Amino acid sequence: MEKNYHVCTGCGLLCDDIEVEAEKNIINKVLTACRIGVAHMKEGKGEAIFRVDNKPVDEAVAISEAATILKNAKNPLIFGLGASTNETQKIAIELAKKINATLDDTSSFCLGSLVEAIIREKIKTCTLDEVRNKADVIIFWGTDPSDSHPRHLSKYSYFPRGKEKQRGWEEERTAIAVDVRKSHTAKICGNYFFQIPPKGDAEFIDALIAGLSGKLPKTSYNYPPKKILELANILKGAKFGVIFAGRGLVNSLENLEPIFRLMKALNEKANFHLMPMVGSCNTMGFNENLFAETGYVNSVKFENGTVLHGPEYSIVESLKAKTVDAALIIGSDPFSILPGSIVKNLLEIPVVSIDSYETLTSRNSKVYINTAVSGVEAGGTATRMDRKKVSFEPFIETNHPSEETILKKIMEAL
Amino acid sequence: MDFGSFLTNPEIKVKIVTYRDIFQDKAMLENRFGEEYRNRSAIIKLDPADLKQLNLKIGDTVTIKNSFGSVVVKAEESGYETPHRGIAYMPKGPWSITLISDETGGTGVPKFKDISVTITSAKGEKVTEIESLF
Repeated sequence: MEKNYHVCTGCGLLCDDIEVEAEKNIINKVLTACRIGVAHMKEGKGEAIFRVDNKPVDEAVAISEAATILKNAKNPLIFGLGASTNETQKIAIELAKKINATLDDTSSFCLGSLVEAIIREKIKTCTLDEVRNKADVIIFWGTDPSDSHPRHLSKYSYFPRGKEKQRGWEEERTAIAVDVRKSHTAKICGNYFFQIPPKGDAEFIDALIAGLSGKLPKTSYNYPPKKILELANILKGAKFGVIFAGRGLVNSLENLEPIFRLMKALNEKANFHLMPMVGSCNTMGFNENLFAETGYVNSVKFENGTVLHGPEYSIVESLKAKTVDAALIIGSDPFSILPGSIVKNLLEIPVVSIDSYETLTSRNSKVYINTAVSGVEAGGTATRMDRKKVSFEPFIETNHPSEETILKKIMEAL
Repeated sequence: MDFGSFLTNPEIKVKIVTYRDIFQDKAMLENRFGEEYRNRSAIIKLDPADLKQLNLKIGDTVTIKNSFGSVVVKAEESGYETPHRGIAYMPKGPWSITLISDETGGTGVPKFKDISVTITSAKGEKVTEIESLF
C-alpha cells in the first residue's frame, strides 16, 4: 500500500515523513513526528472564531473592522508571519506596501543578522541533507535542538547513517556543544561539552582561533587552555564540519565579527559550514521573501514606494518608541515572547490578531480571526532552515479560513 | 556573602538566563492557558547553594523582581553538576519576559539571556496566574 507522508510545520525542520491516521476530520494518530510535532498537528479545533472587542461576530464584520483599523492608522505595524506560508508572506508584504506599514518578524531579535549573512553569502553554509550524508564534526553553539528542533540529531546531524557516514555517530561523527548550561543536547555530546560563562562566547571564539594556529588560548575566565587546544585539534581535522548557531551565541555577541573571524580561521585549516537554528517553520521564508523584495530581511518601513530600514523599524524599537499606532499580528504571540516592559505598549493601540491558536495577544486584541493551521488544514509552501523549499497539502477539512484567504479579503476591503 | 542573606527573609541577587524546553512547548501548543503550561513555565532553576541560602525546599514559591516586573514562581534545583551560584535559569515565556529590561541600546534586541533580579522566599503564596501578567 502506498503511504501518504505529510509535512510537519511545528519547527524550522519541516519534517516531510509524517504519517497521520485521521477519521472524519479528526486526527487520531500522528506517527514519526516529535513531541512538539504531535502536539502541533493534533491540536483540536472547534468552530471558527471571529471576535471584535472580545464579542463573537461573523467573518465579514471582523474583516471590515480589521480593514478600518489599518486604514485609519498613520503607521501600522505588521508583525509575525514566521509560521505562515510563502504565499501568505508575499501578500503581507504587498499589504504593508499598500498601507505604508512597518513590517517585521521575530528574526529582528533572534537570528536575523545571521540569516542575512547567509543570504548575502558572507558565510559558507550547506543543506541538512549534506549534513546527514557527510558531516563529521558538528558543533551546537548556543542552541539546544533536543528541545527546540527535536528530530535534528536523529534525522540529520548526529545519529543517521548517512551516505558517506555509514558508521554513524559511534565512529564517524563528533558532536560538540558550546553553551552556558548543560542542555539536553550538551548531555549527548558527553566530554565534548564546553561550558562557558554567559557572554563568554566572543572570548572563547578568539581563544579557539588562537588554538587553531597553535598559540596559547587565553580567556579572562581562565578556560583550561588544554581543553581549547583539544577542541581546536578536532576542528582542524574536519572534512565536513558544521556549526549550528543558536540565539545563545548570537544574543551574546555585539556583532557578527567574531563569527566571521572563526569561519575564516576554520576554513583555512578545514572545511566548515554554518547554519542558523531558525526556530519557526517559515521564518527563513519570510527573510528570503522580504530580502527579494527590499534587500533587507526584517525591520522595514514602506513609505510611498520607498523602503526604510533599520533597528528603529523593528517591533521592539517601534513599540518602545510608540511610533506605530495599530498592529496586525499574524501567527505570533508577542505577549509571550517580548519583554513585558515593551509589549505592554501594544495595549494602547488597536491590534488585529490572526492566529490558529488562542494566545495572550489574541485575548488582548480588538479583532481576533482564528485561522487554519498551515500544513494541517491549509496548504502552501515554506522554506526549511537550510533554505530548501517544501510544499504541503492540507489533510483535514476545516471551516477555518487560511491566513492567505483572510489577508486577501483585508486587502480587498481596503 | 551579600548583605541580603542576613535579612529575616533572605534575598539574593541572580542573573537569569532563559532557555527552551520541549515539554513546555508541547504544553503551550495544547493549551497555553492551562495548568501544565503554567507548571512548565512559572519555574526558576537555581543552584542548590542559592536554594539553601533562601531557606527553600524544591517546589517552594519565590518572588522574583526587578524594576520591570515581579512574578511568583516555583523554585527548582537546576540539576547541573557544575556549580552556578548567582546564575539561574527560566524557560522562555510570559513569566520570564515580564522581567526583561526595556534597555536595548537601540538595537532592537532585548537582553533575553541577561536578566538581573532579586529573589526572596514567597512560601505559601500562589504562582502568578498568566491572566494577571498583563
